[in-house]
Amino acid sequence: MNSPPDLIVDRLSVAYRDQWVLQEISLTVPSGRVMAVIGPSGCGKSTFLRTVNRLVDRMPGVHLKGQIHVGSVEAIGDDVDLVGLRRMVGMVFQQPNPFPFSVFDNVAYGPRLEGVKNSSRLRAVVEHSLKQASLWDEVRGKLRRPASSLSGGQQQRLCIARALAVSPQVLLMDEPTAALDPSSTAKIEELILALKGEYTIILVTHNLQQAARVSDLIAFFRDGRLIEVGSTRDVFTAPKREETEEFLTGRYE
Amino acid sequence: MLRQSFRAELQQLDQELIRMGALVEEQIRRSVKSLTERNVTLAVQVIDDDDRVDAMEIDIERRCLTLLALQQPLAGDLRIVSTILKIITDLERMADHASDIAKVTVRLEQEPLVKPLVDIPEMARLSSSMVRLALNAYIHRSLEEAVTMIRLDDDVDHLYSRIFDDLQQLMRERPDTVLQATHLLFVANYIERVADHATNLGEWVIYMVTGERKELND
Repeated sequence: MNSPPDLIVDRLSVAYRDQWVLQEISLTVPSGRVMAVIGPSGCGKSTFLRTVNRLVDRMPGVHLKGQIHVGSVEAIGDDVDLVGLRRMVGMVFQQPNPFPFSVFDNVAYGPRLEGVKNSSRLRAVVEHSLKQASLWDEVRGKLRRPASSLSGGQQQRLCIARALAVSPQVLLMDEPTAALDPSSTAKIEELILALKGEYTIILVTHNLQQAARVSDLIAFFRDGRLIEVGSTRDVFTAPKREETEEFLTGRYE
Repeated sequence: MLRQSFRAELQQLDQELIRMGALVEEQIRRSVKSLTERNVTLAVQVIDDDDRVDAMEIDIERRCLTLLALQQPLAGDLRIVSTILKIITDLERMADHASDIAKVTVRLEQEPLVKPLVDIPEMARLSSSMVRLALNAYIHRSLEEAVTMIRLDDDVDHLYSRIFDDLQQLMRERPDTVLQATHLLFVANYIERVADHATNLGEWVIYMVTGERKELND
């Protein structure tokens, strides 16, 4: 297994109509590390995440500046192969969003799109992905059941398995446990820790304790700017910037 | 709203901490007084009052753990709560040393002192004022006050080595004083330890204010 790429963001700015929603963001997520992006609502953290796999700029009026390097691939530019980029950069959303298919077909969806037709090959990919997402033991006898029959937490892990099935190298997670109960949340967190190393991961979360538990690095955003980035231990025990301190101690209104 | 109750609880904890610190200071002062005045009753009181210090430590510790569990503070708030947890451990140890000194008073009973005690009370006065200054630095969140109070530890160490030399010389010259002089040496050592714990308090205040751990106790 090759190590996943560094993700380098270089002076990224995003404007919507005439309003800058992200300004001059520069940061690096080293290979195989987990970066948690935190900040108050509206600080631009979800926009940031959606920019990394270019989900934002199909909206009219959106303008991008700067560059995002995913290993040797550049994510910003008119000639970027978006399908290739998104195969490399998987995404998991806040609400589990399985397709209205069976468990198996959800995970097999991506590989099939890529042209995998051999059924034993497909089965192997599905099993491997479900194992990686820590879901295999719970669904192995139920692969033909509709995904909607799974619990919310299982559906979210199914979405992670679906993302993993096309062998991405970077995983973007937008509040992946916001809709889950504590025990499902714990499973997803365990999963993030297990996937770390094999994937470079960016996690957007409002749950500071979750960020503390699973991330190596913290990026704190406010008003569309990156205020502070550093090791989770440093930022959560002794942040360097007053704005970060205010946010972490609940003094930011 | 949650943060307001957190602040309110922190303020109460500050008050409890000051109360505990004042009691520990008093214990140190009274233990040495019991020795210089050969007051066994006072010494017994110091030994009994150690339970009050222990109870305060347990109470503050429980409240800190509750805060950590329920409010999950971060950054500066986390450093405040962990500083309180560390400070009360040092305070409790200091009180144990006061109790140790009081036990020497009890052991020596009415045996006349081999020499008038001058440096030991001075050392005790310095050490207990270090405790007060450290807690002031804590309350004021003052790096400067913490750094300044830590410097007093040098004076305490200086007195300690003088007492050490004096008592050694006394023992050489008058072997009949060995038993008592050894006890007094222990007392000086207990006070020296109190000053080291007070230095720890200062170091924790520095950590609380700056986020950096520095060992200044060398």
